[in-house]
Amino acid sequence: MRLTGNRVRKRLFITLILGLLLFGGLLGRLGYVQLVKGQWLSEKAEELWGRDIPFEAKRGRILDRNQEVLTYNISSPTVMAVPVQIKQPAETARKLARILKAPEEKVYRQITKKQLFVYIKPWGRKIPEETARAIQGMRIPGIAVVEDSKRHYPNGSLAAHILGFTGIDNQGLAGLELVYDDRLKGTRGHVSFSANARGEKLPGGEETYSPPQDGMDLVLTIDKNIQMIMEREMDQAMEQYQPENVLAVAMDPKTGEILGMGSRPTYRPDQYRDADPRIYNRNLPIWRTYEPGSTFKIITLAAALEEHKVNLKESFHDPGFIKVAGARLRCWKHGGHGHQSYLEVVENSCNPGFVTLGQRLGKEKLFSYIKKFGFGQKTGVDLNGEAKGILFSPKRVGPVELATTAFGQGVSVTPIQQVAAVAAVINGGRLMEPHLEKEWVDPEKGETVEKVKPRMKRKVVSEETSQKVRKALESVVAKGTGRKAFIDGYRVGGKTGTAQKVGPDGRYLKNNHIVSFIGFAPADDPRLVVYVAVDNPKGVQFGGVVAAPIVKNILHDSLRYMKVPKRKNQIPLEKTPLTTPIVEVPNLIGQDVNDIRNSLFQARLMVYGTGKKVIDQQPKPGQRVKQGTPIRIYLGDKSPKGD
Amino acid sequence: MSQSFREVKTPMSKPKSSPDLLIIAAIFLLLTIGVIMVYSASAAFSLHKYGDSFFYAKRQMFFAALGVFMMMVVSRLEPKLFYQWSKPLLLICFGLLVVVLIPGVGLLRGGARSWLGIGAFSIQPSEFMKLAIILYLSRFLTLNAHQIQSFIRGLLPPLGIAGGAFALIMLQPDLGTGTVLMGTAMVMIFAAGARMKHLLGLGMVGVIGFTGLVLAAPYRIARITAFLNPWQDPLGAGYQLIQSLYAIGPGGLMGLGIGMSRQKHLYLPEPHTDFIFSILGEELGFLGAGTVIVLFTVLVWRGLRVAITAPDMFSSLVAAGVTGMIVIQAGINIGVVTGAFPVTGITLPFLSYGGSSLTLTLMAVGLLLNLSRYSKS
Repeated sequence: MRLTGNRVRKRLFITLILGLLLFGGLLGRLGYVQLVKGQWLSEKAEELWGRDIPFEAKRGRILDRNQEVLTYNISSPTVMAVPVQIKQPAETARKLARILKAPEEKVYRQITKKQLFVYIKPWGRKIPEETARAIQGMRIPGIAVVEDSKRHYPNGSLAAHILGFTGIDNQGLAGLELVYDDRLKGTRGHVSFSANARGEKLPGGEETYSPPQDGMDLVLTIDKNIQMIMEREMDQAMEQYQPENVLAVAMDPKTGEILGMGSRPTYRPDQYRDADPRIYNRNLPIWRTYEPGSTFKIITLAAALEEHKVNLKESFHDPGFIKVAGARLRCWKHGGHGHQSYLEVVENSCNPGFVTLGQRLGKEKLFSYIKKFGFGQKTGVDLNGEAKGILFSPKRVGPVELATTAFGQGVSVTPIQQVAAVAAVINGGRLMEPHLEKEWVDPEKGETVEKVKPRMKRKVVSEETSQKVRKALESVVAKGTGRKAFIDGYRVGGKTGTAQKVGPDGRYLKNNHIVSFIGFAPADDPRLVVYVAVDNPKGVQFGGVVAAPIVKNILHDSLRYMKVPKRKNQIPLEKTPLTTPIVEVPNLIGQDVNDIRNSLFQARLMVYGTGKKVIDQQPKPGQRVKQGTPIRIYLGDKSPKGD
Repeated sequence: MSQSFREVKTPMSKPKSSPDLLIIAAIFLLLTIGVIMVYSASAAFSLHKYGDSFFYAKRQMFFAALGVFMMMVVSRLEPKLFYQWSKPLLLICFGLLVVVLIPGVGLLRGGARSWLGIGAFSIQPSEFMKLAIILYLSRFLTLNAHQIQSFIRGLLPPLGIAGGAFALIMLQPDLGTGTVLMGTAMVMIFAAGARMKHLLGLGMVGVIGFTGLVLAAPYRIARITAFLNPWQDPLGAGYQLIQSLYAIGPGGLMGLGIGMSRQKHLYLPEPHTDFIFSILGEELGFLGAGTVIVLFTVLVWRGLRVAITAPDMFSSLVAAGVTGMIVIQAGINIGVVTGAFPVTGITLPFLSYGGSSLTLTLMAVGLLLNLSRYSKS
């Protein structure tokens, strides 16, 4: 028997030491993995196990300033597949494809994806209720119909450019839907649970539900009624003048709140896919830039008055042109306006008169006012795609540029800039930031969470200047180029504009103008400023003829709707062969019908009923109507006073 | 040779002491933990697959019981029988290793043709070969103890025999078992007193050979690089290691509790076999997994103590071989799942599910217990 030698014992002992070292090392490694790296590995592993099933938040509604709904969500079910639960993918794909009218092969590919859940895109997204019920009735394992919603715009294309639209996942893509997407969309909620490698729920795994946070309701400064009035007027203008486009902006001049805004051509937000992208991408009132024309003279006038460079009573002679640095700048009226006061210069929109005002101001002053009124920079309205416009760079402004700028040529501005600037001129001199966002409302509690306060950018002119300009502009409407905007009792002030369009070659186009009118009322305390521009109307191309009546209609209907009281002390409409005087309706109630007939009363009477005494009349006594408007009288035997 | 054969005698004396109780205690603890963990790791998918959550656990208990019975039988045999059986056993095992390679005879499981038999009643010849090599090398090294210092006559023959077995196992291919077999052989040759100079030279050759084997199979390269940075390819080569670490790491000190493993839910491949230690670490934490390492350390200590205190060289080498075989396999498995070694498909002795392998390992422990009874204190 060979005994175990010492060498062997020694070797075995070394082996023992090595073995102990090996296991000691492994114990150390285990400790490192579990005790040192454990936390980090846990976090990484949680990501692996965690599965989230999303719960979509409800997108906030958009309301007008009177809480009238402009857009909301309507239920629109969506088909969801949980691939691991589908027992017979081929059969399932065939059934679904038939009912959703989708290609079977594509459905099969989607429902066999190695994902926790899939949507059948796009055929199974936002399907009609009947289809959804049919699918639910089939009870296919692994196929579920889940609640989804789609954006609904109950008023069709109303305020389309302001509201914008959303995509298939209810994400804002344009307009306010995009600008305020984050707050409208809310926060997705989800059910989280731990899952095995196939996505099946782990037994005993914790399930946590984080509820979705619904989006907030956005209340706009827009007034749906005013918006509707404007849209109606724009549609009519499109019909009547067949222009390339029409745009209109209505703003509260004191706050910068936009009450209505729109343009033609337009689109339907829920059918934006069918519309020309150039239509929905171009929000003309903030995007379009062009030479403003005579509406810009308001700025020159305000600057000149503020700097005391002119007295409206001062006289001015217009020979029909003015010579500037050797160039003859002509007045729009052939032969000129002759001898007139500066007030008449404004009423007549006389170019040489405004050139003189520009010259008195000098280029530094005039351009500093133009900038202070916000031209050449974005107004900051809460919409995407706003343009800045273009001004002459100060170095390049010579006498001719100064002169043309003074009457609105050679500058390029946006409609919203003009509205904001004119609002500043007439509201006492404060340049307000135009905006659409008014309030944010918690949809559950109905509480206002946030209110947007009017933001003043700067004070540009004094209250006194503002008052003078208002008076002058009221005069323009009563006596000058803006007569077609005159509304009895509302003291409309305003200014026409006829802007030449610049063609692709950089020259002015012939017989292609943007005619515009900016009007406000009442002149003593302006509540509304309205700007309308019609691009290339067929036929007459004068702002006073085309745009002024549109502004008048918008102002008239809006002010009545706003219950703005009529004024008594307005500048009366100047009589011309073409205007009809406005007269007050006499009180006929209680009078004997024969007496009326025998009097020298000239109004046309329409008699209703029998009897001798007038018991009622329409229009009512004291109401102001155009001369020649028939008066209906209702006859009876008793004097109404006896009742 | 015949002279030395006569000279060498198997232990004939009566056992002096009872078998090593610490080894028995460690083995029973490991078996208990093993059955519980096999149940916990396999319950979910064995229910899914066989409609019986105890499917694997019951079989594991059966093979554990069978193994313990065999262990007791082996521990009571006359030690000389091992000496006598070693040569025929080796020849039979070589034969089986050749037969298993024949397609249609050897069963292909998990990409390796390493099984013989039908269904549940199948065995892995490579497992038997490990035992046969231990016995035969012990005998050979004892017989040629005087020549061990010679490279040609002392070192090359045992190495050649082990290398032959290794080569056949690599044809299956089963790198895990092959590595354990070669490692065991090297422990025995080292213990028998081979010259360090030779061993170091062999080590160099081994490293070169191993590198060659690794380079021959692209998946092995991927496994090695994945072990160095598993997050380089988390869904490919690094997948198993990352999943294993995701189990062990979150286990922390105390573990998630029995049955609470998340990684066994299809994230870890075969959680009840190769990666049972990961699930153990996840459910029982550092305390549980560390206990298992300590139990294997006890085996290293007591097993080599049996070797050192054995009455004769043959017994010493058998004890060293058996101990080496078990702890090398355990060490590699634990090293692999904790990311200390490259991923190799190898089971954890006593804990991993595996019928014939468990029985064989317990029979080997039986050998160790048998020899422990003759310890010279």
